[in-house]
Amino acid sequence: MEYVVTIIILVGLFVILAASFDLIIGYCGLISIAHPIFYAIGAYTSAMLAKEAGFPVPLAMLMGAGAALVSSILVALPSLRVSGDYLLIASIGFQLGLIELAKHFHEIGGAGGLTNIPPFLIREVGREAYAVLVVVIAALTVWFVRWMATGPYGRMMSALRDDELAFSMLGRNAIWVKVSVFGIGSAIAGLAGGLYAHYFRFIEPDQFGLLASSAVLTMVVVGGMRTTWGPVVGAIVLQLLPQVITFFGLPPSVLGPLQGIMFTGLVLVFMFMRPQGLIAASDLWRGREGGARHD
Amino acid sequence: MTDVLRIRDLNKSFGGIVVADDINLDLRAGRVLGLIGPNGAGKTSLFNLVTGVVKPDTGSITLDGQSIDALPIYQRARRGLARTWQNLRLFPSLSVLDNVMLGPRDYPGEKLTSLIFDARGVARRQAEERDRAHAILKRTGLAGVAQSRVQDIAYGQQKLVGVARALMNDARCLLLDEPMAGVEGQAYGAIQRVVRDIAESGVAVCVVEHNVAFVRDLCDEGVFMFAGKVLARGTVGELIADPRLTELYFGT
Ligand SMILES: Nc1ncnc2c1ncn2[C@@H]1O[C@H](COP(=O)(O)OP(=O)(O)O)[C@@H](O)[C@H]1O
Ligand SMILES: [Mg+2]
Repeated sequence: MEYVVTIIILVGLFVILAASFDLIIGYCGLISIAHPIFYAIGAYTSAMLAKEAGFPVPLAMLMGAGAALVSSILVALPSLRVSGDYLLIASIGFQLGLIELAKHFHEIGGAGGLTNIPPFLIREVGREAYAVLVVVIAALTVWFVRWMATGPYGRMMSALRDDELAFSMLGRNAIWVKVSVFGIGSAIAGLAGGLYAHYFRFIEPDQFGLLASSAVLTMVVVGGMRTTWGPVVGAIVLQLLPQVITFFGLPPSVLGPLQGIMFTGLVLVFMFMRPQGLIAASDLWRGREGGARHD
Repeated sequence: MTDVLRIRDLNKSFGGIVVADDINLDLRAGRVLGLIGPNGAGKTSLFNLVTGVVKPDTGSITLDGQSIDALPIYQRARRGLARTWQNLRLFPSLSVLDNVMLGPRDYPGEKLTSLIFDARGVARRQAEERDRAHAILKRTGLAGVAQSRVQDIAYGQQKLVGVARALMNDARCLLLDEPMAGVEGQAYGAIQRVVRDIAESGVAVCVVEHNVAFVRDLCDEGVFMFAGKVLARGTVGELIADPRLTELYFGT
């Protein structure tokens, strides 16, 4: 039972990550794969605040999301002011640099990881309650991304992807839209980080690296970018697949690289065979107001 | 008559190519100025300089008496500067209506705080802008294709979408880059009528156009550009009649 609950929580967390990443890379067209670093910032901030400063866990989690928001804006603002292409480089640099840095700070556990993170809900109410919390937040995230994507912001993001110059010429602030979306998506990832930390109670720098990046990217690409259910399907499929492999009893030294190869392979297969993913997005934006007015 | 846009001593070159050579030009409220000149004269570049797409080497531009030199593109647009593009630049993943709905100077919901904390206010303002967009589509003869994709409608209609999108700005100054190129039939008359209407409502309009009949019928005045220079200013009839200019226009 504990195993099933843990899988549900992992799937839920990856739904949150994939849906928020879809907002950034799919809807807004911002090329970055450093989403897991904001997950990490949320996880570490929340864990440290709860463990060392005695913050109540829910407050610590919100602070973690806030830390992810602020740091993502600090990364995005300068690079997006230069040109969109710098975001990829700047964010990967930030991701890998911060991971290396974290390994050298013993205060946050160093390379060995941060242990004994205060738990939340598990003891008082039970693991199932935590799973419910994660699933509810995952559902809210999916709803929120859909709400953004089908409203006034969705129209702006579509236009921005199509033609940034024409978009700006209409009086729209392209950098502001990009930084906002990057910040919001990253903050949601930060919240997911807090949820991870206080359930598993152990985090280490290496789990937020390029392997995690490729996992989240694969979920979005395989599920279907710019769709409501794509990231959900992607997260479920790609979270369950590795679980299946673990049944074969391979040693961890083989398992890790195997998963990496599997993710990369899947991305390549889908890019060539079915670039739209399992669920295909419409190529024409439709707002939720409908707007079909005939007079 | 008031000058809406003032261009003073504007210079710009790309490497060796001079696209703006000491340009001084005023656009007046309620008037349509034709910008005439052969390909490569620097007409589009002048629009790019005015709108902030390209930064000038020297010179200054004011809009309604205020300097816009330091402003990025979007802030110039918010002050009431609108343009169309020679190569359209529509948004293919949006319907005609949604292309146009992106055009208001103050787009409801662009501020995240209002989007999240004043969702009703944003929805109400979006509905208002939708009504305005429908009115503009009607005025430009596009009401029937409001829900179409822009790539599915005739080229002339696509040009009109560009105009309609710019009209949402309620601009003080409107720059049209070859609105008639490739346009025939109904759209021709529609564009001419709409541009005339806009000018009569007090907007300063500047049109780049090769269609001589269109320019002559529409423009109150014309300037002739060549190699980044404004060589002459007068009525379009006078400019066309000048043999020196026609020779430059048709080349050697
Ligand atoms: N961004 C640019 N970089 C280099 N050369 C340019 C650029 N934009 C325009 N030019 C050159 O400037 C000249 C004027 O171009 P343009 O303003 O488009 O002319 P027109 O609109 O009058 O046909 C052309 O020779 C063109 O190649
Ligand atoms: Mg041109």
